[in-house]
Amino acid sequence: MRTVALRDLRSHKVRLALTLISVVLGTAFVAGSFVFTDTLKHSFDTIFATSDKGIDTRVQAVHGYQAGVPTGLLGTLEKLPGVAAVQPRIEDDLVLVDEHGKRVDTGGAPSVGGAWQPRTRIGDPTRIVDGRAPARTGEIVINDGAASKYHLRPGEHVKIVVPNAAVQAATIVGVYHVSFDTGGYVGALFSRAQAMSLFTDGRHYTAVDLAARPGVSEQALTARVAAALPTGLEAKTGTQVRDDDAQGVANALSFVTYILLGFGIVALLVGTFIIYNTFSMIVAQRQRELALLRAIGAGRKQVRRSVTSEAFLIGLVGSGLGLGGGIGLAFGLHALLDSLNLGLPSGGLVLSTRTILISVLLGTVVTVLAASAPARRAGRTAPVAAMREEFATPTAASLRRRTALGVVVAVGGAAVTVAGATASKASAAASFTGLGLVAVCAAAMLLSPVLARWLIVPLGRVIGRPFGPVGQLARTNAVRNPRRTAATAFALTLGLVLVTGIAVIGSSMKASIDKLFADNVTADYILTTSTSVNVPPAAAVAARHVPGVASVTEIQTLRASIDGKSRIGSSVDGPLTTVMRVPLDAGSSSTAGLRMIVSHKFATDHDWTVGTRHTLSVPGVRPVTVTVGGIFKDDQLIGDWAVNGNVYRALTPQNRWSDDVALVHASKGTDLEALRANLKRVTNDFYVVNVRNRTEYQGMIASQINGLLGLLYGLLGLAIVIAILGIVNTQALSVIERRREIGMLRAVGMHRAQVRRTVYLESLFIAVFGALLGVSLGVGFGALFTRTLRGQGLGTLSIPWTQAGLFVGLAAVVGVLAAVWPGIRAARTPALTAIATP
Amino acid sequence: MTRSGTVATAPPTISAARAVDVVKLYGTGHTAVRALDHVDVELRRGEFTAIMGPSGSGKSTLMHCLAGLDTVSSGSVFIGDVELRSLSDKKMTALRRDRIGFVFQSFNLVPTLTALENITLPTAIAGRRPDPQWLDTVIDTLGLRDRLSHRPGELSGGQQQRVAVGRALAGRPEIVFGDEPTGNLDSRSSNEVLTILRTSVDRLQQTVVVVTHDPHAASYADRVLFLADGRIVDELRAPTADTVLDRMKGLEQ
Ligand SMILES: Nc1ncnc2c1ncn2[C@@H]1O[C@H](COP(=O)(O)OP(=O)(O)O)[C@@H](O)[C@H]1O
Ligand SMILES: [Mg+2]
Repeated sequence: MRTVALRDLRSHKVRLALTLISVVLGTAFVAGSFVFTDTLKHSFDTIFATSDKGIDTRVQAVHGYQAGVPTGLLGTLEKLPGVAAVQPRIEDDLVLVDEHGKRVDTGGAPSVGGAWQPRTRIGDPTRIVDGRAPARTGEIVINDGAASKYHLRPGEHVKIVVPNAAVQAATIVGVYHVSFDTGGYVGALFSRAQAMSLFTDGRHYTAVDLAARPGVSEQALTARVAAALPTGLEAKTGTQVRDDDAQGVANALSFVTYILLGFGIVALLVGTFIIYNTFSMIVAQRQRELALLRAIGAGRKQVRRSVTSEAFLIGLVGSGLGLGGGIGLAFGLHALLDSLNLGLPSGGLVLSTRTILISVLLGTVVTVLAASAPARRAGRTAPVAAMREEFATPTAASLRRRTALGVVVAVGGAAVTVAGATASKASAAASFTGLGLVAVCAAAMLLSPVLARWLIVPLGRVIGRPFGPVGQLARTNAVRNPRRTAATAFALTLGLVLVTGIAVIGSSMKASIDKLFADNVTADYILTTSTSVNVPPAAAVAARHVPGVASVTEIQTLRASIDGKSRIGSSVDGPLTTVMRVPLDAGSSSTAGLRMIVSHKFATDHDWTVGTRHTLSVPGVRPVTVTVGGIFKDDQLIGDWAVNGNVYRALTPQNRWSDDVALVHASKGTDLEALRANLKRVTNDFYVVNVRNRTEYQGMIASQINGLLGLLYGLLGLAIVIAILGIVNTQALSVIERRREIGMLRAVGMHRAQVRRTVYLESLFIAVFGALLGVSLGVGFGALFTRTLRGQGLGTLSIPWTQAGLFVGLAAVVGVLAAVWPGIRAARTPALTAIATP
Repeated sequence: MTRSGTVATAPPTISAARAVDVVKLYGTGHTAVRALDHVDVELRRGEFTAIMGPSGSGKSTLMHCLAGLDTVSSGSVFIGDVELRSLSDKKMTALRRDRIGFVFQSFNLVPTLTALENITLPTAIAGRRPDPQWLDTVIDTLGLRDRLSHRPGELSGGQQQRVAVGRALAGRPEIVFGDEPTGNLDSRSSNEVLTILRTSVDRLQQTVVVVTHDPHAASYADRVLFLADGRIVDELRAPTADTVLDRMKGLEQ
């Protein structure tokens, strides 16, 4: 029997290739996601293992809003038993400007400043590879990776932009070696004194690292240190530090992993339909041969096994190739993200045993499972079938059970979806809707043979009308085997559910932001930055003095503990209502003095009303008590609450003072273009500030969303490619199956072109059916997901109908393209095949 | 009938189809099979011709060549006064569609179309509407009026074959070809189909050519041509089943 299986594989080269490709693509996605993640994780682990080397304990502030570790604590820590060395860490974001006045953009890679350690106490000493170490204020050394990537060298006069201290001049005096390279990372080291003044408030370190004496474990040291710490500070073991750093990066990148894995699963699912279809057709075509085998004494099991072993071989070879493809995919993705300047570390691809096992196992199991139903059917072939006159009408097994199951799943899915739509908690709503989506997709798959008949018949009547009998033949062919049509179309459906769903969410995002701006923002110009350093307050001051500026409103993010709970809100300097519309429920919108305004939702949730008093506190700083003066309608721009800029400055370390955004309100009658030029001129010296009007700002956000959507579309495109392969596969096999019928049609006078057109149209009907189903589900669920995210700023639902229509149109084109080759093959069928007895 | 290789110039209008000095070879070199060996045939209008001969004698090949389904190796074939050799695939297809009707042994109908849709298929493919009066006449002749909306799967073998005859006649072709049209039918259905063909010749002046190995089927014809080893070896007019059987016995010896 094995020889039969092997020979059969060879005799169906085209089918084999198509089936193989679908397995390859599916496993490639899965393998690619693993390789990509492993590679990144490995690179970051290496980085943190190097940069945090030798640390046994780290002391740091519990909350981000604290200034850090008081410098006075250093002496206490040094004297603790078991401590071998103590090394303060001083670090914060900065932006480097080269001697030509060009900002060094590191993309996603960090750009940080720190202190040069003359005597390294923990970890490997930093090695100067060119020039010398910084000795006084105004001198810096930079890492070798940045030096070569951004063409910086010792002797170069550069500028440093840090939030509050604004722009500082500096000279690069040396280059130090970093044993890892994170694709654009900039690390500028200053003298300890200057680092203290730039990156801290002078009384705190960012953190303090400790090394244990030999014989003292990091746990023991950490416990000892923790016991000695005042409240507000915490101690972590070195292992924890390295793990947390790596975990942070992993979390930041997890969306890429999830997306890849998601597509891998979709691709495999889609591949399953193709594999199922292929094997069903192979088995149907080989009825006579199988029956003959049965007649000469092959058992059911043997016949079934011959089909299964065929699937096993395809699965094994396909997933092996897919593994290779996955490595390529990971490599390509890495290169792509690198070219987008996301600051990924470079390093060899990591192929773990787990990746190999999972990919090959998954690919093979899926293939064998997909082929199991056809294999069972093959086993059931009656020996007498060999004697029967073969006829291409399919064995129309009843769809009743499948449809009944589909209805049950659909009802369940709808119920869960409704539960999701009505759930009050956003996370519950999202998970219910997600579950509903899966169930409804499963139901659509079960019901699609029935839906195919319902949809394709009227659709075919309309589209097929101008084609006369060709249209009619195409339509009747398309619903001839509803199971096969459904399986073929469903690949496309699944891809388009995702594409359309994402399109709806993306479009709603843009619409929500547009609406947010149109409804709330009245500022003429918006000053922001695209770097990790926010708008320096000095830039806002400069803007205030530009002629034609009526007012500048600065908004900062304030983190503090309010009544004992850690909270994030805003603080405002300048008039709020000139640059924003703030609809009020109660009180006034003023934040003057010690007044606070609170959003409606936050106020209701916490039982705050006009007149209630609340204390904002940060360890080490005198607390500030404010009084609620107004309640505003929920607003994405202000957030939960806002206080005066003075409160911000009272609670935030001075070195961190900076504005998220500065909103400019022009005086009446000002020439806005001239104003823009002036604003640009005065903020130019800060290197990081962008001047945009409302439309430009919205456009910038829209283009960011588009960039993200583009990445998703690109990945989904591959799922669509598999769907196309499915259509090619099905059409090619259908054509082979109907050879005699096509020959007969040729004999009675059907032109080659008409035969081709019939195949094209049939394929078009199947594709458009799949697309319509997918786009409808995608629009529906995209809208539902948007609804669940309404609390996260997706208040406006926008359904991109043109795009949805475009998807259907594209599916039609794709359907026709997929049928080109099968159509040409069909047209070549000689008329005599109809008459020649097989 | 001469063995000249020249192409006849002014074809007599009386013939519906003609083969002139036709040779058909399958394969090349030593293994080549000479399925038709210098055959000259003339099929007259309004006549029912049966082609008979032992298995492998070239009956089907001759019919395929006459009907434009296959090309000849040498010689020429005419449908009416059109020489088939010079036709492109497109013109040949159109000629089959508009001027020839076919009834095959099996696999005649499109399973997804109704009986009526099958009958009007060639006309529809041509983008024309069938002549309703003629269609009525044909359907009456078939005796299938109450089965028109059925699909082939819902019809018996005989009924399916009658639908196939209907399709062949519906376009008012110059000539209807049948390759063993009753080969798969029981004797009752077979008689029905043959009677319809006979009627179409008698009443509708249709030209019909069928290939058969059944002397009873041949007895419905006006004229029987006997083929052996790719040559026309005999001819019989006004045949009966017995006379045909006699001749066949003679051939097989
Ligand atoms: N496609 C073909 N290829 C090769 N030989 C063929 C082919 N078709 C028919 N023949 C040969 O041509 C001869 C005549 O065949 P055919 O016309 O089918 O005979 P009949 O219909 O009288 O049984 C036979 O010897 C047959 O083997
Ligand atoms: Mg024959």
